[in-house]
Amino acid sequence: MPLILAVDDSPSMRKMVSFTLAGAGYQVVEAVDGIDAYEKAQSQTFDLVLTDQNMPRLDGLGLTRKLREHPNFKTTPILMLTTESSDMMKQAGRAAGATGWLVKPFDPARLLEVIKKVIK
Amino acid sequence: MSESDQSGKVVSGPREYLTFRLDQEEYGIDILKVQEIRGYEKPTRIANAPEFIKGVVNLRGTIVPIIDMRLKFNCAQAEYNSFTVVIILNLRNRIVGIVVDSVSDVMELAPENLKAAPDIDGSVDSSAVVGLGSVGDRMLILLDIEKLMSSVDMGLVSVEA
Amino acid sequence: MTEGHQESGGGDSFDLSQFYQIFFEEAGENLDLMEQMLLNLNLETADDEELNGIFRCAHSVKGGAATFGFADVAELTHQMESLLDRLRRHELQPNPMMVDVLLESADASRVLLARHQTGETGEPPSNADLVRRISELAAGGAPAPAAAPPAPAPVVAPPVPVPVAAPAPLSANPGVRQLEIRMGPLERPDQVDGVKDLFRDIVGLGSVAEVASGRADTRVFHATTSSSNEDLLDLFAFHVSREQVNIREMGAAAPGAATWTDRDDPPPGAPVAPAPGFGFFEGAPGVPTGGAAAVTVEATEARPAAAKTGAAKPAPSPVAAQPEAATIRVAISKVDQLINLVGELVITQAMLAQNSQTLDPAANQQLMAGLADLDRNTRDLQESVMSIRMIPMSIVFSRFPRMLRDLASKLGKKVEFVTQGEATELDKGLVEKITDPLTHLVRNSCDHGIEMPADRVAAGKPETGTITLSAAHQGGSIVIEVRDDGRGLSREKILNKARERGLEVSDQMSDGDVWQLIFAPGFSTAEVVTDVSGRGVGMDVVKKNIAALNGTVEIDSSEGYGMRVSVRLPLTLAIMDGMSVGVGDEVYILPLSSVVESFQVKDDAVNTVAQGSRLVKVRDEYMPVIELEKVFQVPRYDGGKSSDIMVVVEAEGSRVALLVDELLGQQQVVVKNLETNYRKVPNVSGATILGDGKVALILDTSTLVRRSRH
Repeated sequence: MPLILAVDDSPSMRKMVSFTLAGAGYQVVEAVDGIDAYEKAQSQTFDLVLTDQNMPRLDGLGLTRKLREHPNFKTTPILMLTTESSDMMKQAGRAAGATGWLVKPFDPARLLEVIKKVIK
Repeated sequence: MSESDQSGKVVSGPREYLTFRLDQEEYGIDILKVQEIRGYEKPTRIANAPEFIKGVVNLRGTIVPIIDMRLKFNCAQAEYNSFTVVIILNLRNRIVGIVVDSVSDVMELAPENLKAAPDIDGSVDSSAVVGLGSVGDRMLILLDIEKLMSSVDMGLVSVEA
Repeated sequence: MTEGHQESGGGDSFDLSQFYQIFFEEAGENLDLMEQMLLNLNLETADDEELNGIFRCAHSVKGGAATFGFADVAELTHQMESLLDRLRRHELQPNPMMVDVLLESADASRVLLARHQTGETGEPPSNADLVRRISELAAGGAPAPAAAPPAPAPVVAPPVPVPVAAPAPLSANPGVRQLEIRMGPLERPDQVDGVKDLFRDIVGLGSVAEVASGRADTRVFHATTSSSNEDLLDLFAFHVSREQVNIREMGAAAPGAATWTDRDDPPPGAPVAPAPGFGFFEGAPGVPTGGAAAVTVEATEARPAAAKTGAAKPAPSPVAAQPEAATIRVAISKVDQLINLVGELVITQAMLAQNSQTLDPAANQQLMAGLADLDRNTRDLQESVMSIRMIPMSIVFSRFPRMLRDLASKLGKKVEFVTQGEATELDKGLVEKITDPLTHLVRNSCDHGIEMPADRVAAGKPETGTITLSAAHQGGSIVIEVRDDGRGLSREKILNKARERGLEVSDQMSDGDVWQLIFAPGFSTAEVVTDVSGRGVGMDVVKKNIAALNGTVEIDSSEGYGMRVSVRLPLTLAIMDGMSVGVGDEVYILPLSSVVESFQVKDDAVNTVAQGSRLVKVRDEYMPVIELEKVFQVPRYDGGKSSDIMVVVEAEGSRVALLVDELLGQQQVVVKNLETNYRKVPNVSGATILGDGKVALILDTSTLVRRSRH
């Protein structure tokens, strides 16, 4: 059963994402910001990382960069959940090593659809 | 069971009353207000309380005041022995125990058996007397126990300082 | 659901309403945090972290509101976010007007959220004026102030700020343009109904008209506006994601001259592109290769590849040393249940301890050892459990800065608010009950205590008054004080007022007694009853509320200098360490925290003074003696014991010696409320159940101490 790391500082978003993913049969681990997520990544390997961009302590881009430097996460799909889809954001995401993005607000159906495309 | 009328007037439908004895008189109170019946145990005294408030007891973790109705109604005597009974009442705002001479039974009284009470010049607060019930040759004085216990002179209600 | 609420897309299998409650709570917290941060913001030296923090709050609420379908909230918070975004990028300098409008917007957001939460129907309040002001501030202007009710006193308004720093060219502003805006493919075309409202509600945005689109899943608008595409996309973002919007300047030739954004509309007939709103970076790690509709979009402009260390996006917040406490939410009823159970455990343990006293220790070593362990464990457990319900006073204090700011401004006064002892902890139940009385006291200080700035200066005081709110533990109580450096109470006025009302007073009354007069119902010496306080319904209710918590209120004042109101509350002592004493056949409990010492008394150490009161000499001190036998009218039987043990207790800064027969021991007791089923008993603070099942009264050392002073 694939294991997904869901990172968002908003509890309601986290719950929504967790619930949706769990309902589709995925196992989910939640993290409240980039630092929390990175710490969790030290002890487990995930099949996919979903991360919000705007978070305290370490944001989505920062987390993505750190993960890409970690041997276990060089090729893990990392999706950024973001309200911004401007060129600048895409550049930044790409440069940080993200796999792709998903624009907020999104609905659960779309989330699952995107994940299916990309999860290993 | 029909709804209780707040004013204490006689309402339609039969109701059940727990009957108890104080001295020579028999009284009846709404069975729904009765939580349990216990023997008498010596309460912890509360200083400077009226004589008829014997004190408080521990009822499975809840502190419950005990009022001796025989003293309140100026009965001839009030004994404390193995037959003495305490009725634990579960009222709207409180749980309280009343000491009586004995408990008789539970009677169902239909409205036809109830009469309005004449103005008794007794020690019972007559505004709490709902009526008189007769069953056979027994005469019951029916009390609105809720009203009686919340009257100021019963000493349970704090008077604003 | 209320109007303005759309169910987010998706099938029936996804019921987002189960997350609403979490979102409401979370949004509430974010708005509170935002308000706090705004109030603490130093406009001159606002740093990145602060501004980013405030931005994130608005951003978070917006994101959730949009996700869960609360469009009105999303719209308002989006406006707030835009302004905050510019602030955090230092494109604008923060000024008081911005803070005001953001605070007001946070309030308005709360109102909207509350409506959704309670399911109110009907016209929601219009926030068009707020939105206008925010937009103008965000554009670097100084909007006309909001249409507020006329202030009673000259409000100290900040000077109109000069807009600072030309806005960075996030948006080229080419003047008024005619645009064709295509939105689609839309899963639910009606989701963009709100677009027209935007043009209606936002002054200066422009005008819009819808035209036929020729496709069921697309809607097309023609707009006349001077806003940039970026700004428009931002505005539309909560109705429709950027991927689904195309903006084209009309009258322009084919693509190339126009400003296209993101996706092109596929020509009709071509297979509709897969659902937009996401994408993958070609060649990025983790991207699926081959077949399955991998939409790879590449924005490969000949831009120097941003270094791995990131793009021109706002720098990620520095990793601050901000330990985030992991918390879980628990229903209060569960905590109370837990406390009750621990209480029962304490009683049982006490009973075991008592019953085992008669056992032979040698023969029951293991049992005794086990009981000792049990005692320790129970104590630890009790402490842990009690601390669950304890929360810091800062929770109570937090509502005051905002309240005072608004109040002072309304009254035209300058007030500084200081807090002390925010970390002092208090039981949650008490916190809820103390908030109203404290609010009244603080408002009183602001309204009646602190003088108008001009008056203060005339009196040689600093223009800005200070109101201090403090909390501290003292013995078994918590003392909360409200102090101000205002005009203080006028003894004369109070005495006159009291006489007017027929109260019995004399000029010989001590100051303390005079101040207590203001607690009489209907008492108020305010000349002008403002709508804030001073209707005279306040102080007596305050006293009642505090008395209901078994607390006391005292007032200290100095005319011309200020006033201090001290509220003393017993900490909720559901479980307490007690010392049991015997008087006659009865057992009484003293709070161990008040007990100083005890000793056996010899007759010659006790002196009788006038009126039959007695004093005892303890080392060099004389202190009053209180004979519990007399206070509680304990029956004595012939040949019974007599009292010859003194227990010195201290309360409210004074000591008295209680005369008892014997000391029975120390134990933990569970405090039960007498007033639940009975009533308040003088000199008694509660009751407890002893190991033998009997009830013992717990003495109120404060009232006992007060008895001794007349």
